[in-house]
Amino acid sequence: MGDAARPMIVCVFLRGAADGLSLVVPHADDRYYELRPTLAIPRPDAGRVAATSRALDLDGHFGLHPALSGLLPLYRAGELAIVHAVGSDDQTRSHFEAQDRMEHANAKERDSGGGWLARHLATRPGGRASSLAAVALGATVPESLRGSAVSVLESASDYRLGDDDQGFALALQALYQGAGDPAHPFDDALLLSGREALETLDRLRSVDAGKASGARYPTGQLGHALGEIARLARADLGVEVACCDDDGWDTHFVSDQLIPRLAAELGDGLRAFREDLGDAMERVVVVVMTEFGRRAYENTSLGTDHGRASVMFVLGGGVRGGRVVTDWPGLEESRLEEPGDLAVTIDYREILDEIVRERLANPRAGEVFPGLDARPRGLFGG
Amino acid sequence: MTLRLPASRAVHRRALLAGLGAVGLASTGCDNALSALASLFTEGLPARIDPPSGAVVDPIHHLLGRAGFGPAPGQIEAVRAMGKEAYVDAQLSPEGIDDTACNLRTGVIDTYNMPTSLLFEFPPAEVEVELRRHTLLQAIYSKRQLLEVMVELWSDHFNVAIGKSLCKHLKTADDRDVIRPHALGRFRDLLGASALSPAMLVYLDGRENKVAAPVDRPNENYARELLELHTLGVRGGYTQGDVMEAARCLTGFVVREEWAPGLVEFVPERHDDGEKIVLGTTIPAGGGRSDVERLLDIVAEHPSTARFISQKLCSVLVADDPPASITERATATFLSTKGDLRAVVREILLSEELASATGSKIKRPFRLVVSALRAVLADTHAKGSLLGHLDRMGQALFSYPTPDGYPTRSDAWLATMLWRWRFALELAEDRIDDVHTTWDGLRSSLTAGRDGDHEALFARHLYGRAATEAELAPIRAYQGARPSPGRVALLLSSPAYQRY
Repeated sequence: MGDAARPMIVCVFLRGAADGLSLVVPHADDRYYELRPTLAIPRPDAGRVAATSRALDLDGHFGLHPALSGLLPLYRAGELAIVHAVGSDDQTRSHFEAQDRMEHANAKERDSGGGWLARHLATRPGGRASSLAAVALGATVPESLRGSAVSVLESASDYRLGDDDQGFALALQALYQGAGDPAHPFDDALLLSGREALETLDRLRSVDAGKASGARYPTGQLGHALGEIARLARADLGVEVACCDDDGWDTHFVSDQLIPRLAAELGDGLRAFREDLGDAMERVVVVVMTEFGRRAYENTSLGTDHGRASVMFVLGGGVRGGRVVTDWPGLEESRLEEPGDLAVTIDYREILDEIVRERLANPRAGEVFPGLDARPRGLFGG
Repeated sequence: MTLRLPASRAVHRRALLAGLGAVGLASTGCDNALSALASLFTEGLPARIDPPSGAVVDPIHHLLGRAGFGPAPGQIEAVRAMGKEAYVDAQLSPEGIDDTACNLRTGVIDTYNMPTSLLFEFPPAEVEVELRRHTLLQAIYSKRQLLEVMVELWSDHFNVAIGKSLCKHLKTADDRDVIRPHALGRFRDLLGASALSPAMLVYLDGRENKVAAPVDRPNENYARELLELHTLGVRGGYTQGDVMEAARCLTGFVVREEWAPGLVEFVPERHDDGEKIVLGTTIPAGGGRSDVERLLDIVAEHPSTARFISQKLCSVLVADDPPASITERATATFLSTKGDLRAVVREILLSEELASATGSKIKRPFRLVVSALRAVLADTHAKGSLLGHLDRMGQALFSYPTPDGYPTRSDAWLATMLWRWRFALELAEDRIDDVHTTWDGLRSSLTAGRDGDHEALFARHLYGRAATEAELAPIRAYQGARPSPGRVALLLSSPAYQRY
């Protein structure tokens, strides 16, 4: 199997705890409208509200935020599955703890610190990985790839030495060739990072920067990142994992003014990505996740505080989509988790496990998610 | 403490500045004059430099990398003459160190030196860039090097992402009025200043945190980070209930947006004045504005805070995973001095654990840039692409988006090697605008009176030890169009120069 034929996963992390109850609205649940008198997204059939402000019905119970309209055709085409009331067992409600735990995806008592995508790359079948096997758009290595060699870049065409001096690269190759000094624990990692950067430099020279796709991505961090990932995917550079972040979802304050912009960039960005890839989407799966959801009731600054369950989106070739996968816990007082949060009824690792096992064809998924008792949700296949 | 000046005065001042521009005080001419003036107050390049020649990193070179951003030419000799302990003690009292040369460069940065309310007369982008320039220039040129290290540390610990709302203007006030005055003071004072810093009140939504009606629920954002990131640490023994009670204590503060914008005020009608119980201690009802001080006393005095802060200081100053012996001594000092940062930092800097931790950390991009510019005695006013280099390497100043600040651990910084190399190349080839370096001068000081193996001498100067044959061979072999700057760039790009 050549690099290009390998499946590829794109992991989009919504940083700051995205409000699942605004993105995928439980419009058939009256309690939702009681808990959020000012912030609730109106029902699809709400009178006296502009149609553009109402939820977009999915299945009679749930509806998309109107700004996520870009996702509706993908859902209807059966390429997009939505998971609701999903989350982790992390109870800290701390962004950093919850993000780390989720990106490490270990059982609580066995978190070794390495990322789940790094473990997938280390255990997946097939030959040696390309130096571009793992790519992160941005400036830092995401925790999900901790433990892997990662090419971190802002954009494909930026990534080269200024004067393109082969001699300089050769000398660097020699400097970074040495064995690590055992006195310094990170030394091997430093040398490896240097060698990876040089290898990446070589491979990226082959990306055809001029080949425009015509896809129209929204402006912003996420739109830019998805466009760059599509470029790398189309150039067949052996990218197996691509990560990108979308910041700004920590909507404690005036969330009704923040979420429409964030949601529009997410929905329109994924739609553009899908169109951009065309047939190549067959070997790509996109997963969108966030560290936790937000409190079911709104606070007095027209926002919501840290909660528990939220949503995930799974998009791509082979996805059995067009449905909302959920064990909906409801929003009754007795069903809320202290101090008023949507309860987690699906462990996010079950979804990732199914992706790794079924879609990325890694039979050692058990090592990627140690200690997980997975119940497949039938996200893939017929 | 904001000075309130009538608006007309601000307008008048801006008109005056515009007038100065019109009469042709070109900024480059001005910079050159400042550089010349500053050079009168600095030692300058010594005629002869004897860089360390041992097989292991010179202890003074190492100390200058921990108590500062690395040695400038001639500094190792000066510190050796006065002794390590005397140097550290002098650094612990920065107010006693003359800093005229640095002040000449940073004193002209207009917005940094302006009352907070006047900052809002300027476009946010201008205020942001001037703060970044100020930070970089202080780190490069200040003789109060330890203070600069502590400023960087606390800027991450009490991170405020400059991009959020009024923070574009208010981070300047936070840096000047909160971080710098308390960076080597008492932890409780620093914490208190940060809690009511207008920038922090904006960044973590403290100004939105109110209980004005019985149905109001407090905004927990700041309260949570106060306990998790600023004081006790995530495993410090607090509960979700403590977060909610702390948030109640913090209700009622607002930041003015007009008529003296940036001024912090307490509005009793927005404060929850009922009884609170935080970490087992009762704060009686009716405390009003003093609730915040009681809350901060409780968290600052908590033993988890002593441990968490001492651990952080050791992991930044000594090693990512510092020996337990030093974190225990630092914690004990923190407890016995009630959080006197000078005493804790002194304990750490003069420890055997720090002395033996040579090369145990990877330079973050800011340190890579500052240490290189110090090592070659560069002349800059940080007006050109220098800041852009930091952005590319992943450390755009004051731009870390989440409250935990830029990572302090080494392994987080390995992903942007290519941008480090590009910086090294551009510096060595003198291609960074507004950075001027006298490579020839440095070369002749290093080779003075000696048969020149230039690369070996440069390596000793940059690494603080003799480079091995394996380290030098690829550099000597490098030819290229301009071998001399290319070889210096390779030294700056090498694995050895990424460590400290």
